[in-house]
Amino acid sequence: MKGLRSLSLLAALLMLLLGCQPQRPSGRLVVGSRTRIDSVDPAATYNFGALQLISALGDPLYAIDARGELQPRLATALPRMSPDRLTAWVPLRQGVRFHDGTPFDAAAMVFTLERFLAIGKLSYLLGDRIVAVRASGSHELELKLRRPFTALPQLLSAVSLTPLSPTAYRSHDKRFLNDRFVGTGPYRLTFFADQQQRLEPFKDYWGEPPANSGLDLVNLSNSTALYGALRSGEVDVLLSTSLEGDQQLSLHQDAQRGRLLEGVGPALEIGYLTLLSDQPPLKNPVVRRAIAHSLDHELISQRVTHGLRPPLRDLVPPSLSGAEPTAWPAFDPVEARRLFEQAGYCRGKRLTLPFTFRSNIPADKLFALIWKEQLRRDLGDCIVLEVSGMESTTAYRQLSEGAFASILLEWMGDFPDADNYLQPLLGCDKAEGQRCLEGPSAASGSFWTRPGLNEELLLSQSLQGQERIELLQRLQRETAAAAPYIPVWLVAPRAWAQTGLNTPVFDGSGRVVLSQLQQRPSAARPGP
Amino acid sequence: MSRRRQLLGYLGSRLLLAPVMLWLIATLVFLLLRLAPGDPIDALLGIRAPEAARQALRQQLGLDQPLLAQYGHFLADLLRGNLGESLTNQTPVLEVIRQSLPASLELGLCALLIAAVLGLAVGFSGIARPEGKLDLAGRLYGIGTYALPPFWAAMVIQLIFAVWLGWFPVGGRFPATLMPPSGSGFYLLDSLRAANLQQLAGSLRHLVLPASTLGLLLSGIFANALRLNLRRVLRSDYVEAARSRGLSETRVVLRHALPNALLPVLTITGITVASLIGGALLIEVTYSWPGIAFRLQEAIGQRDYPLVQGIVVVVAALVVLVSVTVDMLVAVLDPRIRF
Repeated sequence: MKGLRSLSLLAALLMLLLGCQPQRPSGRLVVGSRTRIDSVDPAATYNFGALQLISALGDPLYAIDARGELQPRLATALPRMSPDRLTAWVPLRQGVRFHDGTPFDAAAMVFTLERFLAIGKLSYLLGDRIVAVRASGSHELELKLRRPFTALPQLLSAVSLTPLSPTAYRSHDKRFLNDRFVGTGPYRLTFFADQQQRLEPFKDYWGEPPANSGLDLVNLSNSTALYGALRSGEVDVLLSTSLEGDQQLSLHQDAQRGRLLEGVGPALEIGYLTLLSDQPPLKNPVVRRAIAHSLDHELISQRVTHGLRPPLRDLVPPSLSGAEPTAWPAFDPVEARRLFEQAGYCRGKRLTLPFTFRSNIPADKLFALIWKEQLRRDLGDCIVLEVSGMESTTAYRQLSEGAFASILLEWMGDFPDADNYLQPLLGCDKAEGQRCLEGPSAASGSFWTRPGLNEELLLSQSLQGQERIELLQRLQRETAAAAPYIPVWLVAPRAWAQTGLNTPVFDGSGRVVLSQLQQRPSAARPGP
Repeated sequence: MSRRRQLLGYLGSRLLLAPVMLWLIATLVFLLLRLAPGDPIDALLGIRAPEAARQALRQQLGLDQPLLAQYGHFLADLLRGNLGESLTNQTPVLEVIRQSLPASLELGLCALLIAAVLGLAVGFSGIARPEGKLDLAGRLYGIGTYALPPFWAAMVIQLIFAVWLGWFPVGGRFPATLMPPSGSGFYLLDSLRAANLQQLAGSLRHLVLPASTLGLLLSGIFANALRLNLRRVLRSDYVEAARSRGLSETRVVLRHALPNALLPVLTITGITVASLIGGALLIEVTYSWPGIAFRLQEAIGQRDYPLVQGIVVVVAALVVLVSVTVDMLVAVLDPRIRF
């Protein structure tokens, strides 16, 4: 009898708990993503989740819109350049206020940039290009450049350079302020924890006010949990970053069936193979070219990602100016065989190619297994892949030591410009013939360079218009011919929303425009 | 020597050994972290940062100093109670621990409660008829729950009760649409103190699945331990003597056998608590529970040396403390124990 009473009590408690689901305030939305945010300081962080959050809390000087066009935000026009192109003046918007009520002006912008140069984790992005910053007027910023730099407005669109209130950050000019953000954006940050953030519309926002009445961002560590949270309606919008491939596919299929809404952003992340080009057997460019011809991009894209990551034959995403979409060869087993034979393989002598994949990234492992099988099927008598996995942080450490004959990596530029894809892979500070001893190429694990390449990369930063595009495309064709890298696929960010909302929209930098998320009027939930 | 003095002597020796043990653990962690491949600078700046930027950061963080000097600073800071700052965002390590340890303790204690109630009930249920159907079911339950892979069990429970039925949240520690209670970091306690029923219900709803999963997985240990000990005790001479005095079987079991059978269970509880403080990683990851084990795993991935060292030292200290407390408790409760 006693046991029965206890059970009844427990059941009643459970029912009460189930009935106690918190009501969502009307117009507020819950956005889920996987990346835990341990800081909201633009100087401290550059992970996707944090940058996505900061993009809703602040405005950069320039922004790239969904069509890929540069738009002034807190700047009012593109920079005015001096005749020698070593000084830039940026006119700033007037009448803008920070969340703490203080005005935005050139002094605030100088404070932000100097703080970033002093303590920013990615301070080299700015420090490599800008020598000095000063306020040349109350609303005019002057930048002294190290050398002419065509992509300056794109650099100034980086979320890391979002203006901060000098008043709010005065006591944190040399330290990170991890749990507060005082910028000029459409939302104010009213609560911050690494797993949960609360955003309220900023009433004095200078631009168009948000379409929703606030956002609650949740960061769950587990891809399956996030997937389940969207399926169960616990979150309204889900961002694809770090979501596992199978789950992305399932959500994509749900969107095709009309059960969800799917937004796709610009594909700015590239996946590529690095080949160790200064050691045999890959020191021989013929072998590298043969490998480039032997990769079946289409098959890999379909089998590994079900087509969600389209094939890529270029180091620069095709949406950016200067891309050369067919620079690398298409899959051609006949040509690959010819090249392998020319290098002395096939007919009884097989090339054993060690390939390392990052064991903590599921798509990498799948790529390794499928590529191995594809090579066995198409060129089994010429090449065999010797596959091994390694945790990513360990692999990164050994990359510059030339530890991997071949490895799959990915890269996304800090701001969308072709230079930001070529320089980090091909740049070289110290070379010996075709071998890079120090610099980005060595850090990337390929060690490949050629005489004059670094100078041409630097030149590309200062050229403009068609001349620049032609140089960038030529550099890619030359790199493709040497094949120290093989582009594999392109990764586009995605976001899924419940059908009662509008489709998520991305900006040109690959971030969801959170202020445009809203419930469709007919689908509005009742208030509490 | 009186028993009381023996007990105090034993306690003293355990407490004196604790700092030595902690020093050994701290040294081991310090060395292993630096021997392990991977570099915090890569985790902080990425692989494409220029060498000058990498060197500057290395210098700023003191990672350019000789290993012995780094070790000296670490020990000196440790003695002053300073665990340093996280390399990733300069947050004091103690602050990170203060934020994440209550989450783990809250989960662990609730899981332990569920495990104890469930396990002891199952363990006790078969005692009326040893080798009977109920006893067999209890044995199978004990073995089955112990053998279940935690991540698999957690994912299945999550799928059924959170995704399919939608009864409970899939993860996290608190509803996204509510403000968490402020105070000690123990959300149940804080929301009770604030008399905020909405917060309390929110915390409980998020706690139910992870705590039940962990409790279910641990309950098998309790069930088997109680069953085996109770059977052993029920065959002992003093129980036979009690029966021969004409006491009822219920009284024999509840008053004479059960208290003695529970003593080893108390030791198991201690060990379980100790392992739960830092060991519920798979449950924390599956349910996105922001506990200390999850934080430690992340810190290891980022090669955040001070954070890993700090968490390990604090967790080790807690384990030592729990272990000494349980030993003392058992010694006080069981006069047969000698030192």
